[in-house]
Amino acid sequence: MTKTETHRADERRFLDERGSAGPLAPNGLNPATIMEKAVRERIVDSYFYKEQCFAVNEADIVDRVVEHVDFIGGVYGVVQKPTPFLCLAFKLLQLAPSDAILEEYLKFGGEKFKYLRALAVFYIRLTRPDKEVYTRLEPLLEDGRKLRRKGRNGTSLTYVDVFIDDLLTKDRVCATSLWKMRKRDILEDLELLEPRVSPLGNIEDLLEEEDERIKEEENRDRYADDSGSVRSMTPIKADSSDNMDVDDLEDRQDRSP
Amino acid sequence: MSNKGSAYGQAAGDTDFRKKYDLDEYAAKAKQREQDEKEERKARWEAKMAGKKYYKPLDGSETLTTARNATQDMSKMVGKTMLVPAGAGVGKRGRGAGFYCEHCDLTFKDNLQWLDHQNSPQHLRAIGQTGEVRKATAAEVHARIELLWEREQEKKREQVVTLKERLEVHKEREEKEREEKRKKRKELEERKRLEREEELKKKTDYGEDVRIEGEHDEDDMMAAMGFTGFGNTGKK
Ligand SMILES: [Zn+2]
Repeated sequence: MTKTETHRADERRFLDERGSAGPLAPNGLNPATIMEKAVRERIVDSYFYKEQCFAVNEADIVDRVVEHVDFIGGVYGVVQKPTPFLCLAFKLLQLAPSDAILEEYLKFGGEKFKYLRALAVFYIRLTRPDKEVYTRLEPLLEDGRKLRRKGRNGTSLTYVDVFIDDLLTKDRVCATSLWKMRKRDILEDLELLEPRVSPLGNIEDLLEEEDERIKEEENRDRYADDSGSVRSMTPIKADSSDNMDVDDLEDRQDRSP
Repeated sequence: MSNKGSAYGQAAGDTDFRKKYDLDEYAAKAKQREQDEKEERKARWEAKMAGKKYYKPLDGSETLTTARNATQDMSKMVGKTMLVPAGAGVGKRGRGAGFYCEHCDLTFKDNLQWLDHQNSPQHLRAIGQTGEVRKATAAEVHARIELLWEREQEKKREQVVTLKERLEVHKEREEKEREEKRKKRKELEERKRLEREEELKKKTDYGEDVRIEGEHDEDDMMAAMGFTGFGNTGKK
């Protein structure tokens, strides 16, 4: 008989191990200090964490996401309450799920439950080496499902691919400072990564088409009668009417609704 | 990629040792148990005298801890809590106003304190749990996703059914209301028609004559009294 493998039900030992010889995440960071101290304290003091994250294992995480997560975010409201999303991410830091389990969260579970995928990509960004972050997250940039996000400034709309893009390009997401990954082109130069082929095609071509579209539109404005088929020929639609956060608009790709 | 073991590289070695018993050891164990029980009674007594809680030390018979209301163990937490009516007493020891834990004989004034207690090693020990949670494998995670997805689909199907039912009821009610309105409209039309007919009848009674104020008053009165005119009575 082999001994059953277990986790501690609470986080005490996990947090006690910070700074000492606790096991490190695959990217070399101490999982107990990946989130900032003030945020960790808010999490372990929160009712949601105490009630819903105690004695939870890797399978129970899915229950909690399905039942309790309907927005992403770090802390919100006047008292900077940690979101269930962030609490569960903290729990994952403690549970240290294997790669096989993360695949389940990302693919099989992620197809069904978009917030499970969002949680998994966030966790992978926090704990995995940069090469792995790119290779596991980039294929999911085709996921255009909507996500709600709660922050200090209220609720806003985002998308799974935009969230992943944030994780790949921003310094801080969901009240957590993201460790500095090497840029993609550096990893390409080191031949650690193959150049990425966007599902939309070559980005240069897209930009050229965009330029052409603008020119044609100018022409159309000049010769008012000459409208018609121009718009339908262009693959990129103007997004200026979208009232999203300014930082979300960066690098936003065209997507079908 | 392994299903088991921590991704952080914690050793997942087999720490079980094969235990060998012989009769001497068995007897020694029994003696030890007797001794332990005696000590426990003593410790309990001392704790009580000192006004402290007594926690039974771990003895290896404890069960693993499981998450609240997780899909696989819905019944686990049922019957473990009891709400005591306010005014039954004050203070943390013993039964009092608030949330009472019968295992630890303690009362807590609010649900946050209660929750802290439920999660505490002392409480877990009192209910015979180790505070250790079994790790899930990737296959178990997969199965859980499937289960939850099925449950969500079932919920959606039920919602569709209730939505359909609600639409059906709504349609029926609208139909009824329309019918009601149609009836009222018809009644109104009927009444108007009758009034018009009445009007028409009066006009035919008097023919094309223009009534002169007071001219037929006498006739009208006679008619009202049952006579149709002088002289007619004679004919009868
Ligand atoms: Zn208790």
